[in-house]
Amino acid sequence: MKRSFGSNSSNNSSGSNKKTKKKATNSSNQKTLGVAWGAASSRSSFRSSPFSDFGSYMEVKNQKLQNQFETEASASASSHGVSDSEKLIFQGVSIFVDGFTIPSHQELRGYMMKYGGRFENYFSRRSVTHIICSNLPDSKVKNLRAFSRGLPVVKPSWIVDSISANRLLGWVPYQLDQLNDTQPKLSAFFAPRRHLAPQVALPVTSCQPETGYSETEEGSSIIAEDAEEARDHVDDETDGVYIENTTPEMTEETRTNDLQSSEVNAERLGNNDIEEKQVSSELQFTPNLLSASDNRSFHASGKHDGKSIAPTSGSSIRRHSTLEDPNFVENYFKNSRLHFIGTWRNRYRKRFHGSSNGLKCEDSGQSTAENAKKSTIIHIDLDSFFVSVVIRNRIELHDKPVAVCHSDNPKGTAEISSANYPARAYGVKAGMFVRHAKDLCPQLVIVPYNFEAYEEVADQFYDILHMHCRKIQAVSCDEAFLDVSDLKDVEPEFLASTIRKEILETTGCSASAGIGGTMLMARLATRVAKPAGQFNISAEKVDEFLDQLPVGSLPGVGSVLKEKLETQKIQTCGQLRLISKDSLQKDFGVKTGEMLWSYSRGLDHRSVTAVQESKSIGAEVNWGVRFRDQQDGHHFLQCLCKEVSLRLQGCEMIGRTFTLKIKKRKKDAEEPVKYMGCGDCDNLSRSITVPTATDDVEVLQRISKKLFGSFCLDVKEVRGVGLQVSKLDSADPSNKGSRTLTSWLSSAPASVHIGQDDSLFAANFRESSDCKRHVAGGVSRLRESNSAESSFQSGDTNSSLPPMCHLDMEVLENLPPELLSELDETYGKKLFELIEKKRGKRKINSNSPHVSSDGTACIKGPKSLSVTIYGLSTSREKVYEEPHVPHPSVARTSSERTIEITDLMPSSLSQVDVSVLQELPEELRAYVSGAFPAHRKQQSSSDAPMETCKKQDQEPSGTKDAENGIGFSYSSLWFGNPPLWVEIFKVSGNCILEKFSEIYYKMVQSRPILSSVLQHTISEIGSFHDASANYLDKAVYDVCELLKQYIKLKVEGDIEEIYLCFRLMKRLAARSQLFLQVYEILSPFLQASINEHYGGSLSIP
Amino acid sequence: MNPKDDNPSGEVARTLVEFLEVAITMIVFLKGFYPSAAFERRRYMNVVVQRARHPELRDYIHSAAFGLLPFIEKGLVERVAVIFFSEDNVPVERFIFKLTINPSCAASVEEGQLEFALRSFLIKLPVSKSLVKPLPQNCRWEVTAYLRSLPQVCSSKAEELWIPTDTKQWQKPPVITPVKSLNSEPLCLQLYVEHPSLSEPQPCQA
Repeated sequence: MKRSFGSNSSNNSSGSNKKTKKKATNSSNQKTLGVAWGAASSRSSFRSSPFSDFGSYMEVKNQKLQNQFETEASASASSHGVSDSEKLIFQGVSIFVDGFTIPSHQELRGYMMKYGGRFENYFSRRSVTHIICSNLPDSKVKNLRAFSRGLPVVKPSWIVDSISANRLLGWVPYQLDQLNDTQPKLSAFFAPRRHLAPQVALPVTSCQPETGYSETEEGSSIIAEDAEEARDHVDDETDGVYIENTTPEMTEETRTNDLQSSEVNAERLGNNDIEEKQVSSELQFTPNLLSASDNRSFHASGKHDGKSIAPTSGSSIRRHSTLEDPNFVENYFKNSRLHFIGTWRNRYRKRFHGSSNGLKCEDSGQSTAENAKKSTIIHIDLDSFFVSVVIRNRIELHDKPVAVCHSDNPKGTAEISSANYPARAYGVKAGMFVRHAKDLCPQLVIVPYNFEAYEEVADQFYDILHMHCRKIQAVSCDEAFLDVSDLKDVEPEFLASTIRKEILETTGCSASAGIGGTMLMARLATRVAKPAGQFNISAEKVDEFLDQLPVGSLPGVGSVLKEKLETQKIQTCGQLRLISKDSLQKDFGVKTGEMLWSYSRGLDHRSVTAVQESKSIGAEVNWGVRFRDQQDGHHFLQCLCKEVSLRLQGCEMIGRTFTLKIKKRKKDAEEPVKYMGCGDCDNLSRSITVPTATDDVEVLQRISKKLFGSFCLDVKEVRGVGLQVSKLDSADPSNKGSRTLTSWLSSAPASVHIGQDDSLFAANFRESSDCKRHVAGGVSRLRESNSAESSFQSGDTNSSLPPMCHLDMEVLENLPPELLSELDETYGKKLFELIEKKRGKRKINSNSPHVSSDGTACIKGPKSLSVTIYGLSTSREKVYEEPHVPHPSVARTSSERTIEITDLMPSSLSQVDVSVLQELPEELRAYVSGAFPAHRKQQSSSDAPMETCKKQDQEPSGTKDAENGIGFSYSSLWFGNPPLWVEIFKVSGNCILEKFSEIYYKMVQSRPILSSVLQHTISEIGSFHDASANYLDKAVYDVCELLKQYIKLKVEGDIEEIYLCFRLMKRLAARSQLFLQVYEILSPFLQASINEHYGGSLSIP
Repeated sequence: MNPKDDNPSGEVARTLVEFLEVAITMIVFLKGFYPSAAFERRRYMNVVVQRARHPELRDYIHSAAFGLLPFIEKGLVERVAVIFFSEDNVPVERFIFKLTINPSCAASVEEGQLEFALRSFLIKLPVSKSLVKPLPQNCRWEVTAYLRSLPQVCSSKAEELWIPTDTKQWQKPPVITPVKSLNSEPLCLQLYVEHPSLSEPQPCQA
């Protein structure tokens, strides 16, 4: 950091680091300042110097620096020998670098030297022409004129860019962001798109591209400006108008006007120019215009149709990636065609459930083979469904090339999802980029999806089909197979044409039908029939038809298989038929070979069946997925889980296996061509199976987070995420209760408890159906392996029993007989033998003494049970690692109890029942009390009457804590943005905690870390009024929990932060009882974690 | 440095090694082990740092840091310690760099970002004088690396510079004072100082 001083010679030179001086021109004032400063520090150093005062010293120093600079510059010029005209781009520019810059000021100096500029070490209004800096403190920004003296303040990139451009660039675009506020905002990000919206709309509006385009080109700047202002307004407006337009009445009206359209068209073209400019104003009035003369109203509606593109442009305001949009997942699926198709099936199933049921019964009753010979199948398919539905009410578009696409971005990097036949004639295909499509067909009209219309048409379509036929297999929303073999009295061809006609009349969309003996043939026939036709391949014509059919057009033959076949010189089905089934199966695998063999003969063993139950349900997003950090990723996962959970609930399904699929950018993959697309990716997937099927969103979130974590990848590389749920069961509403998170979780720790062979507990608190799990849990408890590391896995032990040799005999022997026999069954009756054997070798202790101790433990059971929930995943491990007490079983029971207490210890003593401690053997009690935080000790050793009343006191608070633990699942206090705790603290009712969350919200922009929150707390709160005693316990517990989780979160990678937090905590502890307690409770925990990770203790001075 | 080695985690490792060289020099300077005239001001990563003037000292630090490169690239190095010993070879202070490189996401990191993160260490170090203890008489110092597992047979010359050691350890767990932590995606680096705990048995003074 440099300091500049006022001097006699340059009276304005003290600008850079000093405060504003209103009388900047008053040199005498400044001089005194400078001298005063200089005098203070220079007394000793300048006493013997030849300078009379500081000012003259500076003058000489500046002169010297200047000379140095010049000599260096000339030296570098001669050594490099670049021609002057080329290099002296900074001639006349003299920069002063303020503060930290990239490149550093040394480098900048070098550049100036090399390219003919000047570099000033000290600011002076006279010699400096540009101030270079990347950041300014707030005070300087506020008093900019005082700081810069009217000189331009420019970012260092100006110099770098000028050098790379080899000429002096204008500095204006490089002005410091802080000053001209050009900091990019989201709105700015989308602004260019909006500018172009009118252009997009034009072709539709005018139906006469030439005029439309020329108009735009000429007036583009005006329009852009207008649009800027009017756009928001128009967007709002169009929504309303658009809806109006699609109402049936309007459709009617439009149709009656069909005839007039041509005349109107001409007139309209004439008016076009004027209208263009008045778009916004006219739109506002259109509702009124509608009720005016027919002619006008058509006009207006035409206008609307044109404008209906606006939602596309409007929708592009929708934020485009996970980065910017917190509701990205939701919006994504709202706008996804695949999602529509996917969820349509459920809709269909619900709608036509009754009729498809009938079909199922029939199918199972009759043998399909019997009908196979003479079956007739119609395949019916709506032509270019996604386009024709959208344009069905827009006659003017019917013979124009139209494509459906989610966005009509001018970059043209969106993919076309469907194109109508006129467009296909130009070679426009689905999956093509809009840009390419427009190259092929410049007048191509892009329309957005209209999902409501799709639903409506699909429903109408199936209504018609169900009217004519009972055996229907819905393939998709626009495609179905009909089995008409039973309908002997109707000719299939006639039936097909009737259906097609009805479809056209009802929906306004044309359909094509193919008729064949098998599903395969029917489908192939449809291909010939398209568009808007029908084709029958009768049994005798099958061979003839297939002979010339290229293999690639068989369903199931993709490009890879096709290439393989072509290397074997097989191009048509005729050639394929010459090859034996065996050699096909040898070359392509059993299934594919079989398929090729039978398909090439027109055989297809599938029969028309109702919708199959889906095997898996899930959701996948691989567009627009960009994460900045882990937190973004987790947030996205949460949303995805929500979506999947909704889908599961929609299908009334629950699932056990969860598969997370990740698309990870390939190492050398470039940014994809498709805007926000996934590009070239590696596909990774992992799955996990839990014992209890679920659709609970919290469970999904937990599981998916774990799975996501297990990939160990850089979130920045993730380009797509999918979550699939399989092993589905139908969700039976009767057992709904058992599927909730709490019960699932609580059953897991319960199994730990039951491991302590207290059958009483099981009998009292669990239904008998649950017992099995507990036993299994008990078994898992008996396992001595440490491998089980997570809560799922421990839950998993239901399905995988540990080998018998791992069972602890003592525990087994003490199991109640019912449980034992059940266990025995699971082990194939070998358990009893084993126990008998052991028994022979050893004397068993009498059971009576520990029954009583069991009893006490039991009573305590449920309370601590519910508390353990939050700490489950970690406490589990500890339990496993704890060494078994080798002696009598009494000791075992208690020691296990002890272990649990240890786990709970740091949180609060209120969860530990002192009476249990009293029951413990002497040495164990010593061990337990040793583990208590120091200041709690006397409490545990206090006498009996005290205990009882204390117990009563603590009872309610204990349960309250437990409830909270379940309620906001303490395991994730730091999850989310803002983290969960902020919300919880906000409503905690404790003023200190509320302050915490308030402070967090103040700084929420920067995602503050805890230490900065604490720091602010210290500075903002002068005195702490501690809450009344009963609130205190709760607050202490909450803060402890928060910090504990924070420690766990940070101990691995950021002890600096923990260190800071605890130093601040210590300061807080001096002022507040609350923090004192928290500090004392947490210190041991902190030191233990540090010791675990770093083999030492943290020094907190 | 090996320019033909293009793998990105190597890039991170090289930056790290370079940084370690500077940081170790800074620590030695900070401790006042040598007279401050033995160092000169230099600019590294756009901040002022110290560099040893004496060629042997410079060379020792340089070779120590760059000798680690192959191990760091393999992800073997867990901690790098700069240990100051008292006369009787008992450590009195240890500066520990605990490091973890996550190779899977090293590709995405930009040089600038990593530099930015590491710079914070170089800024924090000179102001951490209050943490350190005055040096005893006749002390010495060394750089020790703790590996996650024993390395395979030495393959290059650089690796041979490092020899196995059995430095004296403290008997009690030390007291830790964190200096700086960096927790970014490709590289987690923490610098902390360890002092013997108060209950550490004092070495008998000879």
